[in-house]
Amino acid sequence: MAVRPRALEALELVPASGRLSRLRGWWEQEHVFGYGLILPALLLLACLVAYPFGMAIYFSLSDYWVGSPGPFVGLTNFREILGNDVFRQTVQNSFVFTGVALTLKTVLGVWLAVLLARDVRFKRLLRGAVLLPWVIPTALSTLGWWWMFDSLYSVVNWTAIHLGLISAPGPNWLGQSNYAMAAVIVVNTWRGLPFFAITVLAGLMSIPREFYEAAEVDGATSRQRFWYVTLPLLKPVLAVVILFSTIFTFSDFNIVQVLTRGGPVNTTHLFATLAYQIGLQGGNLGQGAAISLFLFPMLALVVFLQLRYIRKD
Amino acid sequence: MKRTTRRQFLQTSSAATAGAATWLALGRPPAYAQKRELTFLSWNHFVPASDDELRKQAEAFSKASGVSVRVDTIAHLQLTAKFAAEAQSQSGHDLIRTHDAMPFLFESQLADVGDVVDKLGKQQGGWYPFAAEACQTKAGWRAVPWFWISFPATYNMAHFKKAGFEHPKSWDDLLQQGKVLKKQGNPVGIAISFCGDANTTAWSVLWSYGAKVFEADGKTPAINSDKTAQVIEWWKELFKDAMEPEVLSWDDASNNRFILSGKGSWIHNPISPYNAALKEKMPIADDINHHTSPAGPAGIHSAVPILGLGIWKFSKNIDVAKEFIQFLFRKENYDAWIVASNAFNHPPLRHLADHPIWARNPKFAMLPKEAEYAHPRGWPAKPSDAAQRVDEAYVLPSMTAKAVNGMPTKRAMEWAQDQVARAIKGQLKVG
Repeated sequence: MAVRPRALEALELVPASGRLSRLRGWWEQEHVFGYGLILPALLLLACLVAYPFGMAIYFSLSDYWVGSPGPFVGLTNFREILGNDVFRQTVQNSFVFTGVALTLKTVLGVWLAVLLARDVRFKRLLRGAVLLPWVIPTALSTLGWWWMFDSLYSVVNWTAIHLGLISAPGPNWLGQSNYAMAAVIVVNTWRGLPFFAITVLAGLMSIPREFYEAAEVDGATSRQRFWYVTLPLLKPVLAVVILFSTIFTFSDFNIVQVLTRGGPVNTTHLFATLAYQIGLQGGNLGQGAAISLFLFPMLALVVFLQLRYIRKD
Repeated sequence: MKRTTRRQFLQTSSAATAGAATWLALGRPPAYAQKRELTFLSWNHFVPASDDELRKQAEAFSKASGVSVRVDTIAHLQLTAKFAAEAQSQSGHDLIRTHDAMPFLFESQLADVGDVVDKLGKQQGGWYPFAAEACQTKAGWRAVPWFWISFPATYNMAHFKKAGFEHPKSWDDLLQQGKVLKKQGNPVGIAISFCGDANTTAWSVLWSYGAKVFEADGKTPAINSDKTAQVIEWWKELFKDAMEPEVLSWDDASNNRFILSGKGSWIHNPISPYNAALKEKMPIADDINHHTSPAGPAGIHSAVPILGLGIWKFSKNIDVAKEFIQFLFRKENYDAWIVASNAFNHPPLRHLADHPIWARNPKFAMLPKEAEYAHPRGWPAKPSDAAQRVDEAYVLPSMTAKAVNGMPTKRAMEWAQDQVARAIKGQLKVG
C-alpha cells in the first residue's frame, strides 16, 4: 500500500499540487504501480537469466571461439558434438548418474523424512544436523570425499578391509569406470538428500492428523497408512522436489569436477564438465554452449508436463 | 533544511554526467585514483618457495618503479579456464603465466613481445629452440619463454639395489625391471589419468618409439600407426605387470605421494618430490635420485613443460609488464629464483642456464641436459592450439587407459585418431 499523501503533506515533504502530485497520481494507479513493483525482479531475471541464456544460444549457433566471434553456422556445432564419441558417452553417463541418484534420493529422502517426523528427543537438533551436507559449500565437502576415495590412503577401503568386508587393496574408487560412477553418485545423493528429506518433511507435517486417526479406526497397519494416506497426499510435494532435483542433478558440475574431472576415460563426464572442458579449456565456446544447451528442450518438456500434472492435481 | 531546486539539481547532475562521460571516454580512472598497479596471474608453484621469491622480486620492482605489482596464484589446472574468462570479458590481469601451446590458443588476445624476446636473447646467449618455438606463433612472439621444467625419472635407489638393478636406461628396461620390482612390493608408477603428468609422459613415450600425433604439416592426424601400437602394447604390459591399478585415478600430486610413501620405486616426474623430502627432512630423501628420461628405439625425447609470460592485448600496462619481465630476467633475480625453487626452474636462456646449482648436487647434474631431448608438444609439427586441445581433452592418456582396460589396441588408436582430427578441425582462425 502506498503511503497516504496526506501524511506526507503534513510533513511538508511533498508539495500539495503541481507536476509532482500529478506524477504521483499516475504512479498510484494499480496497473502502473503493480508493474513498478515487479520491475526490479524482472530486470534481475533479464540480466542474470535471459541475457546469458540468449548468449548461449547465439554461441551454440556460431563458430565462436574464446575472444573471437565467428560467423553463424546453424546447427553445425550440434552435429559435431553428436559425432563425438566422448559426447555420446557423456549423454549416457548423465542419464545413468541422474537416474540412479534421483531414485536413491527419492527413496531415502522419503524414508528419512518419515523418521524425522517422529517425536524423538533432540528433534530440532537432528533436523538441523540433517541439513548439513546441503549447507556446506559443495566444493569443500567434495574435497573431503575426494580424500576418502584416494587411491593410496582411502579411508573407505581401510575401514572395509579392517572390518573384513573386502580384501586388500580394495576397489580403486576414482580409477575404474563403474566405481568412479558409483562414487560420484554416492556423493551427489549424500548432498541432495537433505533437500528431499526436509521438503518432504514439510509435506508430511501438512497432512492432517485426522486422516491417520480415521485410518487407525479402520484398522489400517502402519504400512497401509503409508501407502494409502501418506504417499498419495505427498504426491504434489514429491512432484515438485523431483522436478527440481532432476534439473539440479543433470546440471551437476562441482562434484564430478573435484572428484574425477570427468575421468577415468570420460566415464563420469556430465554435460557441464564436458562443456567446461571443450568450451573453456579447449577454447571452443560454440561447441561448449551446444553441449550445455543440448538437454534444454528435453528438460523444458519435463518441466512443462510436470507442472501441468501438478496444477491438475 | 535546504531544498534543492530543480535548476540546481539539473546543474549538478549534468556536470556529474559530463564528468563521468569524459572519464569513460578517456578510458581511465580519474587522477586521484591513478595509482598504477600491475597484476600477474600465475600458478601455485610445485615448490612454494619459488613463489615467495617471485613475490619478493615483485615487491622490489614496485619500490624501484613506483608501480605496485600484485601476484595472484591459483591451481595450475584452473589457469586455462580463467584465461578463457579473462579473454572473453576483456578484463582481468595484465600478465599471465602461459603453459605449452597457450600462446597459440590465445594468439589473437596476447600482445606482441618480440622486442623483449630479442633484447633478452641478445643479452643472455640466445634461447633454446624448443622454448622459443612454444612462444612464437605465425603472428609473432605471443609470450616470453619464462622457464621449463626438466622431466627426468625419479627413483628410489634402495628398491632398485635390492632388486639388483641400477636404474632403467630405456622404456623397455623399465618394463623388465618394473616386473621384478612389483613382485618385490615396490611397483613403478606413471599416471594414466586426467592430469598434466599423464600427458607429459604419454608424449615422451610416443616420441621415443618414433610415433607421432601429428604429421609435420600439423594438419594431418598421425597417431594411428604401427609404432603407436607398439607403444600401447608396452603400456598394457607395464600396467599389468609393473604398476598398480591406482595409476588410473592419479592426479599430479599422486605420484609424488607414491614415491614419498616408500612404496613406489620409480616415477616419471620433475624433482618436486625430492625437494619436498628435503624440506620436510624426510629420511627417504637420501634414497631418492634422478636419472635421464628413458630412451626408446628412436632415442630419448622429452615433452618438458614450457612456461611463458604473456601480456593481454587489453592490458593498460603493457609497457610496465614488459619492464617487469625484464626485471625478472636480470641475472641476479633469475639466479635467486632458481635457488629458491631448488633447481626446479630451468632457464630457457643459455647463459642463465649456466648456474652452479645443478653441478653442485650430483642428483641434479643431469637435469639441464634434458634440454637436448626436449620438444614442444605437437612435434614434429610446430606447436599449435590443436596440440593444446589434445592435451586439454587428455586424448593420449585416454587412449592408453582404454587399451589397458581391455579395448583392442587398434580400436583405441582409431578412437584417438578421431579425437586428434577433431582437435585439428577446431584450428583457430588467426586474426
